[in-house]
Amino acid sequence: MFLDPDSKWAHRLNPVLFLLPALTIYIVFAIYPTLSVIEYSFTSWDGISPEREYVGLANYTRLFTDKIFWEAFRNTFVWSGVIIVINVGLGLVIAAMLARVWKARLLIQTCIVLPVVISPMAVATIWRWMYQPSGVINQMLETIGLGGLATPWLGSPDVVLYALALAHSWSTIGLSVIIFLAGLQAVDEDLYEAAKVDGATPVQAFRYVTLPALRPVTAVVFILTLTQSFKVFDLVWATTKGGPIRFSEILSTYMYKRGALENQYGYGSAIGVSLLVIVSAATVIYMQIQNREDR
Amino acid sequence: MYGRWILLFVLGVIAVLMASPLILTLFTSLKPTTELVNPAWYPPLSVTFEHYIRVWTDGGFSRYFFNTLLISVIDAVVMIVIASLAAYAMVFIDFRGKLALQILFLVGLMIPVTAIVLPLFQIVRSFGLLNTHFGVIVADLALAVSVFVFMFTSYFVGVPKALHEAARIDGATEFQIYRRVIMPIAMPAVVTTALLEFLWSWNDLLLRLLLLTQDEMRTLSVGLLNFQGTMTRDVTGLSSGTVIMAIPVVILFLFFQRHFVRGMTAGAVK
Repeated sequence: MFLDPDSKWAHRLNPVLFLLPALTIYIVFAIYPTLSVIEYSFTSWDGISPEREYVGLANYTRLFTDKIFWEAFRNTFVWSGVIIVINVGLGLVIAAMLARVWKARLLIQTCIVLPVVISPMAVATIWRWMYQPSGVINQMLETIGLGGLATPWLGSPDVVLYALALAHSWSTIGLSVIIFLAGLQAVDEDLYEAAKVDGATPVQAFRYVTLPALRPVTAVVFILTLTQSFKVFDLVWATTKGGPIRFSEILSTYMYKRGALENQYGYGSAIGVSLLVIVSAATVIYMQIQNREDR
Repeated sequence: MYGRWILLFVLGVIAVLMASPLILTLFTSLKPTTELVNPAWYPPLSVTFEHYIRVWTDGGFSRYFFNTLLISVIDAVVMIVIASLAAYAMVFIDFRGKLALQILFLVGLMIPVTAIVLPLFQIVRSFGLLNTHFGVIVADLALAVSVFVFMFTSYFVGVPKALHEAARIDGATEFQIYRRVIMPIAMPAVVTTALLEFLWSWNDLLLRLLLLTQDEMRTLSVGLLNFQGTMTRDVTGLSSGTVIMAIPVVILFLFFQRHFVRGMTAGAVK
């Protein structure tokens, strides 16, 4: 940094000095573990002993026959599907409504976006409390005369996954709304004018002007919601730990149980790799859509 | 013309529904125990802070709070420095292998933390950093740095090259240009980075659960999880703990909503 800026050394060293802090931390604590998880997945390591035995594809063949893995796999897709329907569908509708309102817009938007900054751990505590058999949700249902629908939300095998997906959507839908709003602002006003002149109703304008114009943004929100919901661990772990039995077991919680709690590092890593592959593939698609948009 | 009012009404209902879990939690945390028999949507008739005091002192939340604050502030400050330095080199300095480096950082956007926690735990342990805040901080930085390198890069790309050239001709070193010329005009990127990294750090559970096993090192997320495990029926204590954890980020959000909104859409991949 005290080097003569025009010296040859300065030219060589500058990029190194600027990049070194970020790059060192990044390679040691992000890239290396990523390569390691792939390596571990070919071993039967217990996470403790100094020796690791390579077992080839044994962990992966075990995955294919592991009924619990497939349950977790299926649950993860169901969970993601529910969240996508809510965050993309409802998110778009809310954004479209919000874009047409001026009064109290900031207040409404704040209420919708605020949960996004709440920690998943806090979200878990709040919803666990609301979902209790004697909790707010059931109290409400009884008050409005729908007591028959009351159920122990997180204790019921048929409902638990959907109940948790709803809690996750509550805390993430604000992000979809923001992205959709930005997309809506970019839609050409003239198109709406033209639709109005042609006598289109607001619903028709939404169907034939807004929706087509928003297709790329919708794709972005879709993939984003998908990757984010696949990565979830905190919320499920802090509410049900995958239970009751395994009815809310998702890939991340199953990996944590096998790997961190039962010391099956090799097998846990194979589950981790399956998560890695799905999420990276989705992210690549996401970035390609975004790139095409920027151009 | 009724349309607008119907729209406003529907949105109002949605806003109330979205806000109610937080408001009900706040209500419960302020209620004397005797009022818990009332339905949850009854506001507290007389406000008490006894649950907060209990959780803060006996529950150990004061320690959790300051541990969390320490980690999050250091995370945010160091992230600004290392990410902006790296992005500066990527944009303003010519060197070989830049494309390869870009791809390397791009990989970081695709790695889900969840998938690599098992080896990450081993590496942090092999450095002797288990149960240290330093271990959590470096892991946090590593797993989010690429997001912020790209954030600064996209900001720096918009800075006129002439600014950099002029400073070079005046004989300034790269570091001087970085400090005196580029960083002062990159404040929006700095603020966004600080807020977003602080938020992610404040909210994370998984890494802290794995890396901090001693109670005196724990953060709010782990503290709240354990409190929930042992004091399942302590509704008022749990809601006070939740509010303690939520309040700092809620205040930050209300003050910097615009920055948050911009940052969250840009950093959404993580």
